[in-house]
Amino acid sequence: MKPQKDPENFERKKLLDFADFDGARVLEIGCGEGRLTWKYAAASSLTFGLDPDFDALRVARADSPADLRGRVEFVCASAHRLPLPKEKFDLAVLAWSL
Amino acid sequence: MEHTSMVHALSEIRRALKPNGALIDLRPVEDNWTVEIPSSSGLQVAGRLADMPVGLADDAAAFAAMREVESRGWFVNEHSEEFAFFYYWDTPSEMKEWVDDEWEDFEKIEKDVYRKTQSLWASANAGARVRVRVKMLITRWRVEKSANHEDRA
Repeated sequence: MKPQKDPENFERKKLLDFADFDGARVLEIGCGEGRLTWKYAAASSLTFGLDPDFDALRVARADSPADLRGRVEFVCASAHRLPLPKEKFDLAVLAWSL
Repeated sequence: MEHTSMVHALSEIRRALKPNGALIDLRPVEDNWTVEIPSSSGLQVAGRLADMPVGLADDAAAFAAMREVESRGWFVNEHSEEFAFFYYWDTPSEMKEWVDDEWEDFEKIEKDVYRKTQSLWASANAGARVRVRVKMLITRWRVEKSANHEDRA
């Protein structure tokens, strides 16, 4: 049985305290199934979620809210070789991945 | 992830960030997380999980990697805080199964702690659950403005 995680939403509150996501271009490393992504993506102008787990990304894509499609992209990659141009993002989030 | 790999990954992240961009590092850290029984009549603590060597080594490597990128002038630590992140289960056995299967490299529940969890849960109100209080660390790192841009290319 999977546990219920952080029903108090402490993680989301702390994340939003620590960074201004409004209009930001965000790179999330280790996004997995997008559990954290959906807590801030609506505020960002663009979110790139990276994870080497293809199956987890399938779940993330399937869970994408319709109003965020086009603003949130999921890419199967690791942080060792980011398939991204330099100086593109305002924020990077290391999500339980260091 | 090994130390060298972490440092390389952080250099890649820095490359992708704009000058004055920020990196938010959000992760759990080992701290013999507490096992708790929350119910309508209050909160009881059953004991603590035991940290495992792999988890402790991962934490040490992560802290060492961040110290290294800070010493290289890639990032500046702006702010850091700890907070609690709770995992909830309906029963002690569900919690134990998760700890044994999903956290086997990181945490272990000793028999005496599990027995006390079962006992407290059984004697609590009908709505009692079981939770583990995970210690979380969040840090905001700013891309160092004076950093040499040659290695950003």
